Amino acid sequence: MEPIALPDWAALGPALVLAVTALLLFVVDAVNPRKTNRPLIAGTATVGSLAALAVAVWYLLAGVGTPTGEGGRGEFHIFGDPGQFVIDEMALFFMVVVAVVTAMVAVASYDYMHDHAYFASYYSLVLLAATGMATMAAANSLVTIFIALELASLPSYALVAILKDNRGSVEGGLKYFLVGALSSAVMVYGISLVYGATGHLQLEAIAEVIAAGDAEPYSGLLGLGVLMLIGGFAFKTASVPFHFWAPEAYEGAPAPVAAFLSSASKAAGFVIAFRVFTTALPIGDLAPMGIDWATVFVVLAIVTMTVGNFAAAVQENVKRMLAYSSIGHAGYALIGLAGFVGPGGSELVMSAAMMHLLVYGFMNTGAFLFVGLAEYWGVGRTFEDYNGLATQAPIACSALAVFMFSLAGIPPFGGFWSKYFLFTGALSVGSTAMIAVAAALVVNSALSLYYYSRLVKAVWIEDPVPGREGLSQPVGLYAAIVFAAVMTVAVLPGFGPIADAATSAATALIA
Amino acid sequence: MATAFEFAPAIALFPLAAFVIALAFGKYMPKKGALAGIAATAASLVFSLWAFVTVAGGETYHETLYEWAVGDPTSEAGVQGIEFTFGILLDPLSTLMLVIVSLIALLVHVFSLGYMNAEGETGLPRYYAELGLFTFSMLAFVFADNLLMAFMFFELVGLCSYLLIGFWFRTESAPSAAKKAFLVTRFGDYFFLLGVVAIAATFGTLQFAGPESFVDAAADAIDGEETLFGFGAETWVTITGLLVLGGVIGKSAQFPLHTWLPDAMEGPTTVSALIHAATMVAAGVYLVARMFGYYALSPTALAIIAFVGGFTALFAATMGVVKDDIKQVLAYSTISQYGYMMLGLGVGGYVAGVFHLMNHAFFKALLFLGAGAVIILMHHEQDMWKMGGLKDKAPVTYYTFLAGALALAGIIPFSGFWSKDEILYDAFVLGLEDPVFGVAYAMALLAVFFTGLYTFRMVILTFHGEPRSEAAADPHPVGPSVTFPLATLGVLALVAGVANLAPIAKLTGMDITYLEFWLDGEYGVVDGLTYTAYTETIGYPAGEIVSEQATLLIAAGLGLGLAVAGALTAYVLYSGPEPVRHTEKLGSVYGVLRNNYYQDEYQVWLARNLTLPVARGADRFDQGVIDGVVNGVSSVSLFGGGGVKRLQTGVVTNYAALIMLGFLALLLVFGLHGGWFL
Repeated sequence: MEPIALPDWAALGPALVLAVTALLLFVVDAVNPRKTNRPLIAGTATVGSLAALAVAVWYLLAGVGTPTGEGGRGEFHIFGDPGQFVIDEMALFFMVVVAVVTAMVAVASYDYMHDHAYFASYYSLVLLAATGMATMAAANSLVTIFIALELASLPSYALVAILKDNRGSVEGGLKYFLVGALSSAVMVYGISLVYGATGHLQLEAIAEVIAAGDAEPYSGLLGLGVLMLIGGFAFKTASVPFHFWAPEAYEGAPAPVAAFLSSASKAAGFVIAFRVFTTALPIGDLAPMGIDWATVFVVLAIVTMTVGNFAAAVQENVKRMLAYSSIGHAGYALIGLAGFVGPGGSELVMSAAMMHLLVYGFMNTGAFLFVGLAEYWGVGRTFEDYNGLATQAPIACSALAVFMFSLAGIPPFGGFWSKYFLFTGALSVGSTAMIAVAAALVVNSALSLYYYSRLVKAVWIEDPVPGREGLSQPVGLYAAIVFAAVMTVAVLPGFGPIADAATSAATALIA
Repeated sequence: MATAFEFAPAIALFPLAAFVIALAFGKYMPKKGALAGIAATAASLVFSLWAFVTVAGGETYHETLYEWAVGDPTSEAGVQGIEFTFGILLDPLSTLMLVIVSLIALLVHVFSLGYMNAEGETGLPRYYAELGLFTFSMLAFVFADNLLMAFMFFELVGLCSYLLIGFWFRTESAPSAAKKAFLVTRFGDYFFLLGVVAIAATFGTLQFAGPESFVDAAADAIDGEETLFGFGAETWVTITGLLVLGGVIGKSAQFPLHTWLPDAMEGPTTVSALIHAATMVAAGVYLVARMFGYYALSPTALAIIAFVGGFTALFAATMGVVKDDIKQVLAYSTISQYGYMMLGLGVGGYVAGVFHLMNHAFFKALLFLGAGAVIILMHHEQDMWKMGGLKDKAPVTYYTFLAGALALAGIIPFSGFWSKDEILYDAFVLGLEDPVFGVAYAMALLAVFFTGLYTFRMVILTFHGEPRSEAAADPHPVGPSVTFPLATLGVLALVAGVANLAPIAKLTGMDITYLEFWLDGEYGVVDGLTYTAYTETIGYPAGEIVSEQATLLIAAGLGLGLAVAGALTAYVLYSGPEPVRHTEKLGSVYGVLRNNYYQDEYQVWLARNLTLPVARGADRFDQGVIDGVVNGVSSVSLFGGGGVKRLQTGVVTNYAALIMLGFLALLLVFGLHGGWFL
C-alpha cells in the first residue's frame, strides 16, 4: 500500500502541474508589473515543465495505465467510468513528449525572447498551450477533446503573432488563426454529426453503439462526420490539405514557438487522432458500413509526406524548409493510423508512429532551436547565409548535423530507428496499400536526404560568409540544443525501453 | 595450470597489438615500432611452440569462440540452420604452420632492423604496423576452424600484401605492382567466395573438422549418391572444390594467375621474404592442405591440382633462367616451388606437400633475406651482372645463401632435396599407372634441371668471379641483425630435411619419418584429418618398377641427377672471372622467355579488349538508365516541389478555398465509394 493514497483526479497531474505553473506566472508578473524578473519567470516555467515531466515519468514507472493483471495500477478514468478523461500509458507517453519539448523551449526562449516586452505573457501562453496539449493526451470524449484542442490552439495563435512589430509574425499568426477557425468549425460540425448518428460523445460509448449496429441507418451521416473529424486532426498535425497554415506560421513565428508547435502540438494532434480512431471508431465495424477511414489515412499519409518533402526540396529559406519537412514527418506518423487493421497486427506500426513522434520531439525541436540561434546571431535566413557557420560555432553545428541526419533517417541516430520500425511495421501489415505507403516512405526519405544534407553542407563545407562578426554563445539556447542532440543520439541505446513503452502503450490502446 | 590452448587466440593477437602500437606510438619509439613487432612475434613464437609441444603430447583443440550470425535456412543437403563463427582449430598441421609463420615473421622483423632502420627509410611506423597486421592475419588464417573465417583472413592477408608491396608508394612502379597483386589475387578470390557460398548453401556448415564439418557432409552425400543442385554429389564437390581452388591459384601464384608475383618484387625485400616464405603465397597451398579431406573426395579436382602444379613448376623455372635481377630469379623460383607443392598435394602426397611447404619456408626466407643482404652490400643494386666477387667480402652471406641455394636446387643432403624427392616419388609411382600424372611428373622432373640451372647461375653471378662494378668491389658492411636471421635459417635449410627422411626409412626400415607420424596422428589427432584417412579416401593405385626400393632409387636418382646436371651447366656457362650472357644462343626462344611467355600481354589484352568494353557497356547502362531514372526522379521532384511552392500563394482566402476543395475531393471519393449518399 502507498503511504499516501492520491485521489483519482491526481492522475491528471502532469496537465495540472502545467496549468498551475501558467497561473503562477501570472502571479509572478502581477506582483511587480513595472519590472520583469526574467530569470525568475523563465526559471518558473522551466521548473514547472520539468515537474510535469517528472510526474508523468513517475506515473509511468509506478504502473499507471499498465493493466492490473500485469502488476500495474490500471487506467484511471475521471468524470465517470468510462470517463471524460482517461490516463493510460499512451496519455502519459505523450505527456512526456509535451513536457520535454516545453522544457527545452522554455530554456531556449530565455535568450531568444530576452529583449521582448511581453516576456511573462509569452511564458504563460506557452504553459497554457502545453496544458492544452497534455489535456488532449488524456481527453476521452469528443467534448473534452474539442475543449482541450482549443485550449492548445488559442494560445498558439497568440504565440505565433507575439512579435508585434514583425510583419511576418503578425501575418503568420492571423493566417494560422483563420485556417484554425475554419478547421475548428469543420471539426465541431463533424462532432455534431457523429453525435447525431450515435447519440454519444464519450468515445467508448460511441464504439458500443457502432458495434451494436445501431448506427447502421445513419452510415452516410456518420461517414461525413468521421471525415470532418479527420479534417480537424489534419489541421492540428499539419497534414494535407489542412497544412497551408504551417509554412507561414512557422516562418513568421519566433523560432522556439515554431519548435513548440511543430513538435509538441503535432504530437498532441496525433494522440487525439490515435485515441478517437482506435477507441471510438472500430475499423472492423465501420469498414463494412463503407466508412473505411484507414484508407483515408493511407491517402493522406502518402500525399502529406510527398507534398511536404517535395516542397521542402525547393526552399531557399531554412526555416521554411523545416516547416515543410515538418509536414513530411506528419505524413510518416500518419502511417500509424493508415496501417490500422484492428487488434492484433497493428501494434507494431502504431507504436512505431509513437516512437517517431518522440524522437521527432527532440530532433525537430533541436533543428528549429538552431534556427532560433541563427536568428539570435542575426546571420540571415537562407542556406547561403548559413555558409561556414561551423568554423565559428562547431558545437552547435555538430548538433545541427545530428538533427539533420537523424531527420533524414541515417543510422545510428534515433530518426533512423523510428523510421525503420515504421517501415517494417507498414510491411508487416502486408496489404497492397501499406506496401505502397512503405515505398513512399523510402522514396521520400531518400529525397529528404537531399535537402537536409544541403544544410549540413552549407554549414560545414562551404566557405564562411566574409565579414561575419564573432558569434556569441547564449547559454540557454546552447543548453537546449545540446540536450536535444544528446537525446537524439542517446535515444538509440535507450531504444529498448522506449520501444517497450510505446509498444505497450499501443497494445493497451488497441486492445 | 593453464594449458597452451587457453592462450591460443593470443598467438594471433600479439601481432595485432603490435600493429596498433606501431601505428599509434611508432613515431615516438626508439626503433619506430620494430621492437614492438619483434616482441610480439617472439611471443607468438613462444606460444606457438607451446601449442606445438602440447599437440605433441597428444592433445588437440577445436573450439568455437564467437558466433556472429545465425541463419535458419535449409541447406541443399537437408541440414537445418547455419552458424557463422570464429573458432580455433589446433591440430598437427596448424600448429606446425603457426610455428613456421611466427618464426619467419620474427626473423623478418629482426632483419628489418638492418634492412629498413639502418638504411634510413622513412615511414617506418607504417611499415611495422603493416607487418604486424600481416602476421596477425596469417596466424589467424592458419588456426581458423572454418572456411568463412579462413576466407576473411585470407582477404586480410591480401590487403596487407597490397599495402606492403606498395610501401614505397611515391615511386611509379610500386603502387602499380601493388594494384596488380591486389587485382589478380582478387580475381581468384572471387571464385573462392563463390566456393564458400556454394559449400555453405550445400552442406549448411563451413567447419573444417569434426562430425559437423562440410568434409564429412560431402563424404556422406557421395556415399548416399545424393543429387546436389542438379549435379551428382561428386561432380558438385569437384565444382565447389575448384571454385575454392580459384583463390588458391591466385594467392599461390599458380598458372595462369602467377603474373602478379614477379611484379611484387617492388616491395621491400623483407616483405618479399615474408610473402613468399610464410604468408601470402603459402596461404594458398596451406588452404589446400587444410581442406585436403574435401579434395580427396574428388579425383578430378586432385588431378587438376597436380597438373596445374606440375605445369607451373616447369613453366616458371624456364622463365627464371633468363632473369638478370636477383629478386626476379627468386620470384620465379617461388612460383615454381609452389607448383611442386601443388603437385605433391594433387598426387595425394599430403605429407610431401606439407614437408616441402615447411622446407621452402625456411630456404626461401633465407634466400630472400640473403638477397636483401646482397642488396645492402651492393648499395641497392639488384642486377646480377653488376655483382660478382662477393664471396670473400661477405662470407656469412655467401655461405648461408649457398645453403639456401643448395636446398632450392634439391641437392642432397639439404632440406629441399628430401621434400622435393618425396613429391617426385609420389608423382612417379602414380605416373606409372596414369598418364595424366605421368605428364605432370615429367614436367616437374624437367623443372628440376632448370631449377639447378637458374639457382647456380644466380649464385655464381652474384658471388663468384671478379667484381663487375664499383659497388661490388667495395660493398657496404652488414650488421648482426642481418647475419643472425641468415645463420638461423641457414642451419634450418641444412637440417630441416631430417624431419622426414622417407627414402632412408624405406631403404633401411628405420622409423624416422617424423613428419609423417606427426601428420598421421601419432601425436595429437583430430578425427579424419590424418594422412592415412586421406590416402584411404583417395585410394590411388601406386605402380612400381621391380620393387619399392628400386623404384625409390630410380626416382631419387633421376631427380638428383638432373639437379646436379643443372648446377653443372650453370657452372660451365657462367663460372670464370668474366661470365658472358649466352642468351643470344637461345635465339627467338630468348624473347619468349624474357617476355614471360607473353602472359602479361595476353592478360592486358583481355582486360583491354574484353573487360573494358563490357565495363563501358555497364557504365553506359549505369549512366543512362540507372542514373537517368535517378536524375529523372530528382528533376520531377524539384519540378513538383516548384508546383507545390506556387500553390502556397500567401493569400489566406486561397488557402481556405483549397482546404475546402481538398476536403470535398476526399468526401466525393470516399463517399461515393462507401455509398454514403444513398
